Amino acid sequence: MSTQASKLFVVAVRSACCHPRARPTLKQSASPCSPRVLLQRRTFSLDSLSSGPGRPQPQQARTDRASPSSALTHRNLSAVAVSVQDQSRPLGRYDFLDLGEVEENTQRAQLCRTIKRFIIDPALAKLVTHHLGPDLEDSKAVIFECNPECVCVSGPGVLTRTLLNSGAQRVVTLEGEKSFLPDLQALECLLDGQLEVVHCDFFKLDPMGRGSMRPPAMYTDKLFTDLGISEANWTDEVPVKVVGIFPQRIERSQLWKLLYVLFDRLSIYRYGRVELNMFISEKEYLKLMAKPGDMLNYRAFGALWQMACHIELLHKEPWASFVTSSKYKLAIPKSRLPNDNLCLVRMTPRKDLFSASLTPSNAATLVMMVKQCLAKRKARLVDRLNMWSPDSGPKLLKEMGMQEDVLTGHVYPEEYKQLFELVDKSQEFTQSWLYEEVLENTQKEGWI
Amino acid sequence: MSLLRLCALPKCLSGLILLERSVRRVSNAGHCHYFLTLRNNVERRISDPPWTSQRRHFSALIPKKEDGKKRVWEQSQLLDVLEARIQQLQSDIVLDVQHAKVQFVNASKSGRGASSGKSHKNVSGGRTELPKVGQTISKGGGQTGKGGGKDASVYKSRWMEKLIQEKTTKTKKLNLKLGIEDKPVKSRKGKLILPGTAQKNILTKAGKKTGKASKEPELAELERKTEAKAQELAEVEKLEWKLNQWAMSASPELVQDNSEARMYEGVQLSVHCYLEACVFCGDIDRAQRLLLTHHRMISRRNLLNIGLYNVMMRVWAKKGSLNQIGRMFILVEEAGLKPNLTSYCAALECMGRTPNCSPKVINRVLRQMKEDGLCVEELFRLCVFRQDERDMVLRAIHTVEPDFQPSINTVLHTCSSPLVKDFYTERADAKYPKLAFSLEELRERFSRQLSMEQASTITIHSVEAMKPVTPHMAKMRALLAEQRMVWHKALVGALRESNMILASITPKAVRLSLYPYLCLMDQKDYVDIMIQSLSNLPPSGESLHILAKELGNRVHNKFCIRMKSHNQMVDKLSHIYNEYAELLAKDSQDFDVLPRERWWKLEAEHSSGPSLLGDNTQWPHTVVVELGTYLVDLMVKHMKVNSDILNPANDRKFIPVLYHMYTFRSNKQVGFIKPHPILTQMQQDAMETTLTFDSYVMPMLCPPVPWTSAKFGAYLLTPTKMMRTVVGANQHEILLEKCQDADLHAVLDSLNQLGNAAWRINQPLLDIIISVFNDKGNEKLDIPPPNSEAPKILRYSQQDLATYSSAEKAHLKRELVKAKKKCSEMHSLRMDALYKLSIANHMRDEVFWFPHNMDFRGRTYPCPPYFNHLGSDVTRAILVFAEGKPLGPGGLKWLKIHLVNLTGLKKRSSLAGRLEYANTIMDDILDSADNPLNGKKWWQNADEPWQALACCMEIANAVRSPDPTHFISHFPVHQDGSCNGLQHYAALGRDVIGATSVNLIPCEVPQDVYSGVAQQVEEFRARDSEKGLKIAQVLEGFISRKVVKQTVMTVVYGVTRYGGRLQIEKRLKEVDDFPKEYVWDASHYLVQQVFSSLKEMFTGTREIQDWLTESARLIAKSGNTVEWVTPLGLPIIQPYHRTRTQMLKGTIQDLSLQITHDSKQKPDTVKQKNAFPPNFIHSLDSTHMMLTALYCYSAGLTFVSVHDCFWTHALTVDTMNKVCREQFVALHSQPILQELSNFLLQKYCSGLSHVCIKQRL
Repeated sequence: MSTQASKLFVVAVRSACCHPRARPTLKQSASPCSPRVLLQRRTFSLDSLSSGPGRPQPQQARTDRASPSSALTHRNLSAVAVSVQDQSRPLGRYDFLDLGEVEENTQRAQLCRTIKRFIIDPALAKLVTHHLGPDLEDSKAVIFECNPECVCVSGPGVLTRTLLNSGAQRVVTLEGEKSFLPDLQALECLLDGQLEVVHCDFFKLDPMGRGSMRPPAMYTDKLFTDLGISEANWTDEVPVKVVGIFPQRIERSQLWKLLYVLFDRLSIYRYGRVELNMFISEKEYLKLMAKPGDMLNYRAFGALWQMACHIELLHKEPWASFVTSSKYKLAIPKSRLPNDNLCLVRMTPRKDLFSASLTPSNAATLVMMVKQCLAKRKARLVDRLNMWSPDSGPKLLKEMGMQEDVLTGHVYPEEYKQLFELVDKSQEFTQSWLYEEVLENTQKEGWI
Repeated sequence: MSLLRLCALPKCLSGLILLERSVRRVSNAGHCHYFLTLRNNVERRISDPPWTSQRRHFSALIPKKEDGKKRVWEQSQLLDVLEARIQQLQSDIVLDVQHAKVQFVNASKSGRGASSGKSHKNVSGGRTELPKVGQTISKGGGQTGKGGGKDASVYKSRWMEKLIQEKTTKTKKLNLKLGIEDKPVKSRKGKLILPGTAQKNILTKAGKKTGKASKEPELAELERKTEAKAQELAEVEKLEWKLNQWAMSASPELVQDNSEARMYEGVQLSVHCYLEACVFCGDIDRAQRLLLTHHRMISRRNLLNIGLYNVMMRVWAKKGSLNQIGRMFILVEEAGLKPNLTSYCAALECMGRTPNCSPKVINRVLRQMKEDGLCVEELFRLCVFRQDERDMVLRAIHTVEPDFQPSINTVLHTCSSPLVKDFYTERADAKYPKLAFSLEELRERFSRQLSMEQASTITIHSVEAMKPVTPHMAKMRALLAEQRMVWHKALVGALRESNMILASITPKAVRLSLYPYLCLMDQKDYVDIMIQSLSNLPPSGESLHILAKELGNRVHNKFCIRMKSHNQMVDKLSHIYNEYAELLAKDSQDFDVLPRERWWKLEAEHSSGPSLLGDNTQWPHTVVVELGTYLVDLMVKHMKVNSDILNPANDRKFIPVLYHMYTFRSNKQVGFIKPHPILTQMQQDAMETTLTFDSYVMPMLCPPVPWTSAKFGAYLLTPTKMMRTVVGANQHEILLEKCQDADLHAVLDSLNQLGNAAWRINQPLLDIIISVFNDKGNEKLDIPPPNSEAPKILRYSQQDLATYSSAEKAHLKRELVKAKKKCSEMHSLRMDALYKLSIANHMRDEVFWFPHNMDFRGRTYPCPPYFNHLGSDVTRAILVFAEGKPLGPGGLKWLKIHLVNLTGLKKRSSLAGRLEYANTIMDDILDSADNPLNGKKWWQNADEPWQALACCMEIANAVRSPDPTHFISHFPVHQDGSCNGLQHYAALGRDVIGATSVNLIPCEVPQDVYSGVAQQVEEFRARDSEKGLKIAQVLEGFISRKVVKQTVMTVVYGVTRYGGRLQIEKRLKEVDDFPKEYVWDASHYLVQQVFSSLKEMFTGTREIQDWLTESARLIAKSGNTVEWVTPLGLPIIQPYHRTRTQMLKGTIQDLSLQITHDSKQKPDTVKQKNAFPPNFIHSLDSTHMMLTALYCYSAGLTFVSVHDCFWTHALTVDTMNKVCREQFVALHSQPILQELSNFLLQKYCSGLSHVCIKQRL
């Protein structure tokens, strides 16, 4: 516990003492408000610093480049120096990056052609960075930044820079918008390998379509090979952290897609337990976290995510804090559930998800089983089981220690996993059509 | 054709929309000048007629109460509307934003007639008046509210109804506490309008309307001021005057519109069907109970209509219970409804049944009828009689008027369209074709068809029956038969039991149970239907919705047929048909009347007995699906099989044969019914060789009953709609009903003519095809191979899979998916071919007919779904005309040309060139005919190989006959339109270049628009290639006619870039040596080039398309659906509305139905807009086809069509071509676009002045 306490302290000191030094480079309009906003925002957020059980604790993280603990100090020191020094030399990773003016950034964001939400507010960016880990500069994990917010003409991405400012060792920006690339690449050149820019849309990785594969669509293996990230064991530490905002329109389908590839260990999950730190709409979050018994919202979607990942709500931010490209009005989706915020959610795949009985090769059947069960949440579980293999229902339920009349909507994700392990072991089920079904329902599994 | 003139419509419409907007925001005085320009009309329109009509309409919406109450009712109602409107006003922020824009558009709008300078002046004029108008703002606000309210009552009756519904409880209260509510009413009004005028406004609304203008001095003043300006806008005036005229004549129609729409409302329909079903199964108590419960609840009573009471009246009439009839009349009065003809008919019938009914009573009824403005003659003309109803009514009337005889109206009205005037009036030269059958034969055929339809299903041997039966197959068949017996028994028991449960449940108030629908027939009939559906279930399963729909529809069909025999109309039908057959038979006298006219006359002559016209209503879609789901549920629950039936090694368990599960498509979950693998196995092994079809799947054995109205024709007993529609869409029916009878005659006659063409099977060809089919099939020749040829679906064990790398696993997975998909595709293709060939084989020695109906655009289709001449190359090849005609001098030439056409070669050669080519390859042709499967197989490389083969055989037979000119040929020769859509566009737009390229202008050699476009695209490509565009370089040498053809063809039918790209992508993929990695880019590039080259070639087309699209957009935006009338008088409406989801509760699963045709929903603007141009063109090409059909008929030709491809005997090709050309010219000599414009203006813009008046008052 003592290590944690000291970490807490470090962060606190940082936020207290680093800022004043950073301030000289911040433009006037941005700087006065930022600390204040930050403090206000803090009250919204859950305190994530007491890290959850699934959270990696990279104790041995020591980089080969420099002593990380000093990195931040260096940068902040140089931030002062930069203002007086010659601008022509390449920026080192300790140079403090200017975030640009809020209004200017907003305007640029609004010029964006595609419909997106952006993080413009420096305070918000700070907050996200902060949640990404107090040990950002310690962590070996590469940070993927997808749909980078406002990386417009000459205007630097606020979050990108904030991430760099906080000392992240390796940030990869996945930029789908071609027009933004030059500026990012310029920044990439200025920095000494700390930032990599790839023309790629995180949400178009491994598409199903048959068209020619051109950026921003990309295969994951190409991306990861290019970046020099190799496949890792499931139980290894988190190799990559992804941060970004889910595009509103495809939020649901993206989450499904990720779920499928997670259970099959395909796409990004081939490279280990990739941690997602994403903004999703509140309603989607609530569905994600719905508990058994909530017959309306507890669906296969939530159950499977809960089964696969440790899910943590880091922060809630009102929709209004995000800037949208103004050309289109991005209506906030209506929902029966409260939907006032975007939620920063961390989804860390569970270390113990796969075992001897549940492997990526039979996980698809598990997914199918849960989907079939939860399609009708007021049906009796025993009926479902009997349908797959006659007379096996009562036996299995007894083994599970469950009531015979339990409804499918009352079974916890963990219990489904256990149930599947039993089913998979049972000889009776090998004849069942359940195993055939899985392979047929592949509309969502086209990703490698 | 002046496009300028046409532009008036969009402008007018935009005016309407603007107007509606500005109605909401009159305080925004900038718009006022617009209303003022309409001053003159307004003045004229103050006169009474439109008002009265509106009033009538208004009150029609309100259930009538006692007079005193009614006024308050109306007032409060109006207030509600007002209130809602005001709220809407206040909340309409969007409109605020658009203010500036609106003004701008407004300015350009008023400048339409005048020069731009004038319009400018006009705008400023409007502005200077602003302060004055400002004075009246408060008043104006009130008026707006009122105007808006009324506007809603006319156009937005839906909105109004909703309001009524929402506020029923409130109004009820109002009704009760009349006095107390009066005050708040006033005070609330006060907020909106100045107190003084407020009351008046409301009262005058209910009462007199005149002199209203004088009460508003400010507006009157403004009027005077604008008088001068109005003069300048002479043309606008003229147009608006026209609109005015239309509006006057149109307004009563509007009223009718709404009342009719109400009649078809969902609740009424479901109650109606429920009652009918109850009555049919003899459960009168249940029916009466339901009606009474509805009647007692005020909210429900308001939903009832007279038709529902009539159902009960007819029942009591049958029972001869005068008391009950009397009570029903009281109920009707209580409900504020008016008895109609059918009600009186029932009353009279009852009196006829009562022995010694006193003439006094009957006289009273007749008097009452007269008071209600109904006459006895009409009763006989319009009512639908069942069984002996007619005789009973007559008997009742005879007791008071012994000499009464209903007059038989034999006067035929003729179609008013100038296009068919000649056809109907000049009959002297016409030689209507006769069929090559004697009267006796036709009558015999009729009786066979009748017994087939009465049985409602037919079981035939499939073509696979020719295979030898192995012992295993025999065993499996026995097993399956045995199982079916078991299932049958189990299901009958289950159905009986569940019926008992359903019957015992006392229905909850107004909820309609399924019970009566389950009692219409014997349980075993239902079970037969269920078992039948089992054998049609594909091994990959079927979605619950589709399965349920099928089952429900089968029940409904069977019920309809039962109903007809129950109504004792079969005898009458036979009688009339037997006489009608004289018209067609070769051995009877010649008639100079058309089949429809003959039938109509015969029916009028035999008026006694039941009406032939079935009056049973189509069940609502929800009932059909609910019933089907119920039956599926029974099947899933009660059909079981022992698990060791095939493999004794398995444990014996009693397992269900069907199971219900879900598949997931994108984010939707779809309930699926799948057969258990054991069942699939059994079915596959048994290879059963009988197929059971509904009787309407088979072609008819006798000439179809001619269409005499939109409701009656085609099959003898099976209900058929003349216009096929999406299930549950009734807007087409309503529209057709409203049509003048005579206007539809041309359409009906052409359908009859198409249906009267007799067919038979080309036996030698059928034999060849069946031999290929039963021997492994042939994908290249479009004969689907059997399932045994399908790729094997490999199952990997878990252990195997673990050894593969992830990429390999992904690959395996994809392969598996592909294999599964391929398998199910192959299965469905195979089954489809099996059905077609088996039906053909069954009909091998028969002569048969395809009854025709049409889609909502007037395109005609044969009714039998699987086997018809619209089908694939295979089915077309095995069909020939039953009637043979000698080839004559030019016949052989046409056969040869036809053959070359079928090969797809020589597209750019003239007819002579094609004929010459055919002569050079005579050896190949004869070889193909003699050794189709073992010879040089020349025919197999044709575009349409089977038809080509059939043609080869015909040519061989002809040239080998002693005298080819006397060779009797049954072979249909086709004449295709070349890109028919473009032809119509080019003709409409008088587009010379375009017309040349689609052969509308005589040329040396036939033009080929596809090659033309391909050439143009190639030019673009070469240019881009030089510029260094990569994809253009890659495409070098790959641009061909074939690549662009489909896209060019479909562009006129509204294909989008997206769809066009997919088409081209498909084509490019077929090209073997095209690099696959470029397919996407190439197709993307090509579709752009195709679009731009079309734009260059067809300029007029583009403009017309744009005009149509824009008009449709504005019409849809103004809340209307696009309607038009074809030059032949067929009314067309586009049934695209916003999707409404309806949830259906079911025991097995809740189903959500997506309903896109609900006319109470707003129109779907995008669909209305995108679909209008293609639908309009389709309606034109169908008109052309119908015209050709009609004139071919009077020339004595055999004629059938596949949309734009016309078929006839080789002998008569020249005549047909002549008729086809003449009719094309005649059609396009009509001012089609002008008439369309007029129609649209009248339909959608005449309301404009309505709005204005309301504005003023």
